[in-house]
Amino acid sequence: MTRFVLRRLLELLVVFIGVTFVIYALVFALKGDPIASLAGDRPLPATVVATLRARYHLDDPLISQYWRWLTGVFRGDLGTDFTGRSVSERMASRWPTTIVLALTAWVLEVVIGAGLGLISGLRQGGTIDRAVLLGTIVISSIPIFVVAVTSQLLLGVNWGWVPVAGTQEGWPVAFLLPAACLAVFGLAAVSRLMRGSVIDSVRSDYVRTLWAKGLSERRVVGVHVLRNAGIPVLTFAAIDLGYLLGGAIIVEGIFNMPGIGQLLFSAIRNHEGPVVVGVSTALVIIFLVISALVDIANSLLDPRIRRD
Amino acid sequence: MNLKTRTRMARAVLGAAVATTLLAGCAVGGATDTSSSSSTAAVAGTSASSAAGSAEATGTVAGSSYIVSTTEPGDLNPGKQITAYDQDMAMYTSLTSVATDGTVTMAAAESVESDDATTWTITLRSGWTFHNGEPVTAQSYVDAWNATAYGPNAWANSGQLAEIVGYDDLNPETGEPTVKEMSGLKVVNDTTFTVQLSAPDGQFPLQLSQAMTGLFPMPKAAFTDLDAYNKQPIGNGPYMMTTPHEENQDIVLTAYPDYAGTPAKTETVTFKMYTDTSTAYTDALAGNVDVVGVGPEKIVSAVTDFGDRLYVNEAPGIAFLGLPTWDPRYSDVRVRQAISMAIDRDSINEAIYAGKYTPATSFTPPTEPGTPENACGEWCTYDPTKAKELLDAAGGWTGSMEITYPGGFGLDELYKAYANQIRRNLGIEDVTTKATADFAEFAQIRTDAQIGGPYFSRWGALYPSQQNTLKAFFVPGGGGGCTNCSALQPQEVQDLIAQADGQVDQDKAIEFYQQAQAVLAEQLPIIPMFYEKYMFVTSEKITALPSSQGSPVWAGITVS
Repeated sequence: MTRFVLRRLLELLVVFIGVTFVIYALVFALKGDPIASLAGDRPLPATVVATLRARYHLDDPLISQYWRWLTGVFRGDLGTDFTGRSVSERMASRWPTTIVLALTAWVLEVVIGAGLGLISGLRQGGTIDRAVLLGTIVISSIPIFVVAVTSQLLLGVNWGWVPVAGTQEGWPVAFLLPAACLAVFGLAAVSRLMRGSVIDSVRSDYVRTLWAKGLSERRVVGVHVLRNAGIPVLTFAAIDLGYLLGGAIIVEGIFNMPGIGQLLFSAIRNHEGPVVVGVSTALVIIFLVISALVDIANSLLDPRIRRD
Repeated sequence: MNLKTRTRMARAVLGAAVATTLLAGCAVGGATDTSSSSSTAAVAGTSASSAAGSAEATGTVAGSSYIVSTTEPGDLNPGKQITAYDQDMAMYTSLTSVATDGTVTMAAAESVESDDATTWTITLRSGWTFHNGEPVTAQSYVDAWNATAYGPNAWANSGQLAEIVGYDDLNPETGEPTVKEMSGLKVVNDTTFTVQLSAPDGQFPLQLSQAMTGLFPMPKAAFTDLDAYNKQPIGNGPYMMTTPHEENQDIVLTAYPDYAGTPAKTETVTFKMYTDTSTAYTDALAGNVDVVGVGPEKIVSAVTDFGDRLYVNEAPGIAFLGLPTWDPRYSDVRVRQAISMAIDRDSINEAIYAGKYTPATSFTPPTEPGTPENACGEWCTYDPTKAKELLDAAGGWTGSMEITYPGGFGLDELYKAYANQIRRNLGIEDVTTKATADFAEFAQIRTDAQIGGPYFSRWGALYPSQQNTLKAFFVPGGGGGCTNCSALQPQEVQDLIAQADGQVDQDKAIEFYQQAQAVLAEQLPIIPMFYEKYMFVTSEKITALPSSQGSPVWAGITVS
């Protein structure tokens, strides 16, 4: 078991270095001098540009820039943006918003998605099942910004039920609508996955036996079906939490939530390479760690996974 | 804007380009304490009138407040700021102040005078203090200017001081500077200092006006902890900041009780951060934010959504269509004239800007004093028949034409419209548009002359003098570089600009600038398209939104 964990961690490190190098190389391959573009169409004096380029080592070869950055990361230093502000500090103030938003979305996704999936799985072929299937297809095929902007206009501006933007009103009021928009995709996936698992379970021998024993529906579904059908759903949901943490870019932008996604959104737009790399890296780490934990947890549950 | 300019970008206004970035740093804004009275013409050396606290000084209404949308600023220190323009406008008072019509009045300065346009004597009003109580002295300016100009500090607004004698010593081409002070600055006494310029410049008093944040004073306290000052500037203006700015938190400014100028009318201003200008617009619809800059994509809807709460301000910005004169196909002036005459500016204005912009007829915006009306003449008038004749006379057109502009700033519709007009009216079949990924990429291919067709070009002047726009576009290095200026920079025009700069008398200066424009009209190295407007929408709470050079005067805003 220890070997498995070690191997998994080593893989994680390799993937981390590979992915961050690619991000780093991509950002620095972007056309245009990030320093010269700091001031937009108002050019900076040549000496200012030269000083800043030297300060941020922009004239070094890619590999040595990356090495400098990587060794910084292992010392816990994600570098600074081109105005000298620490990237990790800039991120620090934004994590709480993103985490609250992602967790809210996640809870909505899991509770509503699993609920819908359970009902439609138990009533396979019925009206509710068809409605859920159709509903999830429709909803997951609408681009997220359309869902977000439309609901913002209707619920926020026209009806005034929820704040239009920002987090001033606190949880849950300010977070519900953005979280719901964020949860839409995962919700569709969770409900379908749940539906499939429930259908499989309901058809399985042990459930048939339980029915035959005369157990109540509540007991059969609540205890036995749900427990077995829930495992793949929870695995998916755990990994999806990683996506949610990173996937809030559009939603945070539209609803003006001061989170990590919003920082990435504006950093990309402003060509702030160090911030883009820093944020992406943090998200990569989170995602890698979550998937590693899921793998390890699964391997604990199912020893066959360890043996490959 | 910001295009990084955020600042302003956020404000977005720019019809053309407003990206945060681009704008950043571009326009001009408020903070003036004397706007009303004294309106001597834009003249160097007028020692202005009364000033501080004259006329309608009514004082601050206790408990009043309003909220402005902005974007996350980087540095707040005015010497470094690129995207904290509005906040700095509220916290500082410039030496002089320029109204939208170009009238210069004295603000923090009592007078700005020179006999030869080279050595300037600046006398400060007495009794002014910074927000920490420290007196504002001549030394406060000299220290701030030296710090801003000092190369190794690499402050973004350093270039605003480049004309001062000694700037080059602080910015040697190689190596570290050996001095930290410009020899052209001399403190005479507590309220007087002199500035020696490396060449005569009669426009200097205008350069001391509100938008040139690199020329603001700094208190001694700032130098003991520059990082703290960067997060919580200590200004000499109507509003003060009481707590340091934290990433993405609102910036709340309160009226400075001991301000020596006309006090702010509203007690508290909150700058609220938005990443996306259209979210700010939506929030304004819901009444959660009181003043919001309007980007080009929202102008048409703003007319119906906000009615008379849409403010359309004359701005010191002008949009051109750049021409790649390194391509021989554009070397015949008749081709350039044909392109210009083939574009129907009026119909584009209606379709894209709801008729709120003004088609350009000269090479500088009308808020710059002495800008001639119709300098461009028939070449800027829509006449598709004549355009086609000119192109045919020049030998017709071969090949395709690709119009390039920076992507992400809401410019797509505008450039598509240009392309359609040229295709239809000149019969050039293959006219396409290309958006670069962002402003940085655009800047690079423009600087490297890697553009194969007409391209995005605009300028928002930091001070409203024809000098600013003309130098930026037609003098090599005149604006500190050439990101989107004219590729063709006629020597004759450069000479006329230099002659104009040397005049102390504004009327004479204007004559020379106008002559330069006449030469530009003959050669048409670049095509004037639109005079820009900066637009804002407000909530019903705002009862007055005074502006100067396109930007709101924060201290003059009143609320119900």
